[in-house]
Amino acid sequence: MANSRLTTLIYKDLVLEWRQKHTFYGVLLYVGATVFLVYMMSGQPEAKIWNALFWITQLFIAVNSVAKSFLQEHPNRFRYYYTIVKPVHFLLAKMVYSTALMAAVSAIALALFNIMLGAPLVQLGLFIAVTAVGSISLAVIFTFLSAIAARAQNNAALIAILGFPLATPILMILSKLAVKAIVPVYQPGWWKLMLVLLALDILVIILGIILFPFLWQE
Amino acid sequence: MRKSWWKVACVVLVAYSIIGGLLMQVPRQHILNETIRNLYFHVPMWFTMILLFTGAFIYAIKYLRTGRLEYDINSVILTKVGIFFSLLGMVTGMEWARFTWGAAWSNDPKQLGTAICMLIYFAYLILRGGLSDEEKRAKISAVYNIFAFALMIPLIWVLPRMVDSLHPGNGGNPGFNAYDLDARMRAVFYPAVLGWFLLGLWISTLIIRIELIRFRKENDFILNSNK
Amino acid sequence: MQKSSFLTIVISLLAAMNLQAQESVPEMADAMRSDGKIYVVVLVLATIFAGIIAYLVRIDRKISKIEKNK
Repeated sequence: MANSRLTTLIYKDLVLEWRQKHTFYGVLLYVGATVFLVYMMSGQPEAKIWNALFWITQLFIAVNSVAKSFLQEHPNRFRYYYTIVKPVHFLLAKMVYSTALMAAVSAIALALFNIMLGAPLVQLGLFIAVTAVGSISLAVIFTFLSAIAARAQNNAALIAILGFPLATPILMILSKLAVKAIVPVYQPGWWKLMLVLLALDILVIILGIILFPFLWQE
Repeated sequence: MRKSWWKVACVVLVAYSIIGGLLMQVPRQHILNETIRNLYFHVPMWFTMILLFTGAFIYAIKYLRTGRLEYDINSVILTKVGIFFSLLGMVTGMEWARFTWGAAWSNDPKQLGTAICMLIYFAYLILRGGLSDEEKRAKISAVYNIFAFALMIPLIWVLPRMVDSLHPGNGGNPGFNAYDLDARMRAVFYPAVLGWFLLGLWISTLIIRIELIRFRKENDFILNSNK
Repeated sequence: MQKSSFLTIVISLLAAMNLQAQESVPEMADAMRSDGKIYVVVLVLATIFAGIIAYLVRIDRKISKIEKNK
């Protein structure tokens, strides 16, 4: 029963996304323009700079695409949802949806980076895996912050202010993990770092489940 | 002077750390020389900051459990005083680093960690500033406080594993590990931390009491006008 | 020629040893301790701290008074 509700909610978000294609195309255009801008600024940079630029682009994508998971819905609609679903299901559905969105956009960003800024990747599969984990991490954090911003005066700029300090260490971990796919160096604690990041994601989800009901009630 | 023994303890401990910290023997270290004594004054700022933020975190939880606005006042004042101590710690740390290692900012993980703490709590204040409804402001900022604090602690723990540090016991700092174990320094350092924490708490309680008086006054006014 | 080069080696070695000897004892403010000037610094800091505490106690008393008056 709970599962079906969850899938219905996710399905609803995906259908909404499909019907309002212009917002999705807007995000795509944003990614394309950002990568183009980075290319115009830096040309084809060396591998380490490439990595840093990629993760900064990821951060901006997260702020702009995941942010709308809560902000795009009219505040009055929350009251309607409140009467028919449990807050936990609602939050989890949003998290799954924004992770999917983030993963899709990240894949496009990665492809564009490889085409325009050169392809320094030695282990493409590994880099894709790190990008996937990165999408989950950024998506869950920014989904929750988007929920906070949606309750507080619907201000999109607020998400960047609230999220950047929390995202900085996570991006540092991600770029450190991704270096392994670019420069084949021996990195002792790689798996440990990966597990730390996954544990952080689980922590974010648990905190979200605990705290979201408080945000939800009026 | 009811229940003021801890204020006396605070004065005694900090006074001891000022006098003892300057006069007692310390290990002789290259590069650091006398600046090693900064440990007694600079580091307690960090401890005070973290302890005050922990207090704010606890009061945020208490607020969400009970919905009493007094707890929200406690939480926000502890945060503000914590930010004050973080500024002191940041400035003193930059001064110390400038004259010991030649640069005020040197990608040190503890410095980064504090910068992240400060950004988080500045964001917290901005979040509060944008909301005018008291209940809503208290609730949303309590949620953000709990979320950010619970994430910040593991992140700050991870940071040192990402970048090299100038701080004791990390990286290849010349002869900087020894004093961690030095009993002479511990005898001043721990009392200093406790004393400065109590001082931070004292300042916080003063502001909290003022805010509570103001809060009750406003609420009386609302109650009276409803009659 | 040989003699002079030998001499330079000896001198440089001595200089190096001298340097090492200097380095083995890190410099501290020993002079300030021996002529008692460090106590002036302690006195100044203690005075500032006492002033701040006196101020805090005053504020504390004032707030207590306001709390009682209500």
